[in-house]
Amino acid sequence: MKVGIFQFNGCDKCFAESLLLGGGHEVERVSVPASWKGGKLDVAVITGYLLPKDKSALDKIAASSGKMIAYGSCATTGGVFGLAYQRGNDIHPLSTLVPKEILNVDGCLGEVEELEAALWGKIPNDKSKLCEACSRHSTCQYLDDVVRQLEIEDGDEVCFNNKGFLCSGYVARSCKENCVGSGTPCRGCKPSIKDPSFRMLGMFATLMANVEVATEATGKGGTDKLADAPDALTRSVPDVSGSLFRFSLPASRLPLGKAPSAGNVLSDVFIGRPIEELPLITGLLGGLKSISFTLDVVEAYENGAGLAVSEKTKALRRELLALEKDLQAAVAKGNKEAYKAATSAIRKVAGNMNLSNVYFGGFKVPIQGYDDTTDYRSHVFEIKAGKYASGSVVYEIDSSGLVIAFTRKEE
Amino acid sequence: MVESKKRGCDIPRDRHDHNIVVFACNECGQGAFNTAGVARMMYDASVTIVPVQCSGMISPAMIMDALAEGADAVGCIGCCFGACHFVNGNFLNMHRVKMMKKLFLEMGYSDQIINHYTARAAEGETAVGDVEDILERLERAEKEGGTFKQ
Repeated sequence: MKVGIFQFNGCDKCFAESLLLGGGHEVERVSVPASWKGGKLDVAVITGYLLPKDKSALDKIAASSGKMIAYGSCATTGGVFGLAYQRGNDIHPLSTLVPKEILNVDGCLGEVEELEAALWGKIPNDKSKLCEACSRHSTCQYLDDVVRQLEIEDGDEVCFNNKGFLCSGYVARSCKENCVGSGTPCRGCKPSIKDPSFRMLGMFATLMANVEVATEATGKGGTDKLADAPDALTRSVPDVSGSLFRFSLPASRLPLGKAPSAGNVLSDVFIGRPIEELPLITGLLGGLKSISFTLDVVEAYENGAGLAVSEKTKALRRELLALEKDLQAAVAKGNKEAYKAATSAIRKVAGNMNLSNVYFGGFKVPIQGYDDTTDYRSHVFEIKAGKYASGSVVYEIDSSGLVIAFTRKEE
Repeated sequence: MVESKKRGCDIPRDRHDHNIVVFACNECGQGAFNTAGVARMMYDASVTIVPVQCSGMISPAMIMDALAEGADAVGCIGCCFGACHFVNGNFLNMHRVKMMKKLFLEMGYSDQIINHYTARAAEGETAVGDVEDILERLERAEKEGGTFKQ
């Protein structure tokens, strides 16, 4: 089978993961689709987020390929870069740009096993539910308050949502990345139902029944209505679009956002997000530089806010940075075995390729092979407004912990 | 804008020619509209009432369906506080609508195009007042340029 793999905009993690495709295919890897010379393909695999300017390249690919597969959340629903849709960046899912039947392989990172199956025309199994696979159990109680992820997870086996963390597991499929296994509520990159974000919004808002909501008299006819004033409910979830529409904003049926833009997609992704979400987002979209990017963001805040970090944490982070170099070298050479070795070593320390275990102050869950967890597990911190910088990253947060400016210098 | 033919009837449109969807609960919401009708009270003809068992069953996905299919504004009408026939359905929907309002504001749109109201089945003017409020808010949102239609 002749397969073309095309990397459009954004992070190149899925493009790199497609190295692991099994043998028996004649694979053409194209990292600059606009200058692709063309040719007949059985299957075209599209990765990365898509803008209207990519339409001509996509049309050319569509005309010369039999089947088209969107691989990874960026191509299927806009992905984490799709958060910039809030600020007027017209990011599209592949299915709205190409008038052709598209097979979607969701996930951030997209699973290469599902891609392999999709090449043979198999639709990814959408029957698996994360809640069925998750070891935590629900308490079926309304929440009194919502917890922003600023405290260490105490490791008991109660459902994240029942503890007040917003976990998208209700509307997601179980996956290889398994963020819940790294002390991180599910990000929701593999939806199990149609319209996952609005349904999760409904579910979580229902759970918040005991959180106070402001009402006022209508003044007409003498009954009550919902008030416009901010209340405990809106303070509980400071960033609804980022927490619930993390991967699906462009595919959510909301019109193109009109919030003010900072001028580039990367900054627009980050502005308005709470500080505790930053390392999780950088882990998702940093591509082959995600480790250094994430550590820059984490260390900027640690240094600026005066958070103490243990020696063991520093050593583990240095280990991760060395592994990132190995990963980049493996991908540059197209070496499948080296890529496998590097990713499994990263998964061991950072939990998964989205670096769910990397956090402010240390790591969230015990790392296999290291007994004394107190050496590297600590990340309770308070929000301190201010400007933080480290390495290539400069950002500023306000007193409620929301990012108001974000820039990253590209090397 | 949804054509009146698509709605299966030929209702004369009012001067604004708006398209407003109102989800009204089986008990107080629809009851108040019925009472308003019996008392020959007038309310805007651009309102389409969607009957639901309880306002607690109105999901954000349903509200988005309405907005994405051409509604200018959506109102949800449930029972008065403490009077919900399904314990607390009206409160649950208020929480959802409030979160959606915050989402719309974050996206740079107006939060005035959706709201949750309460009504009393025995008093038609409560439903009529709610419709008036929906229209007033919609006009405010249009002035600000915050509706979904450009």
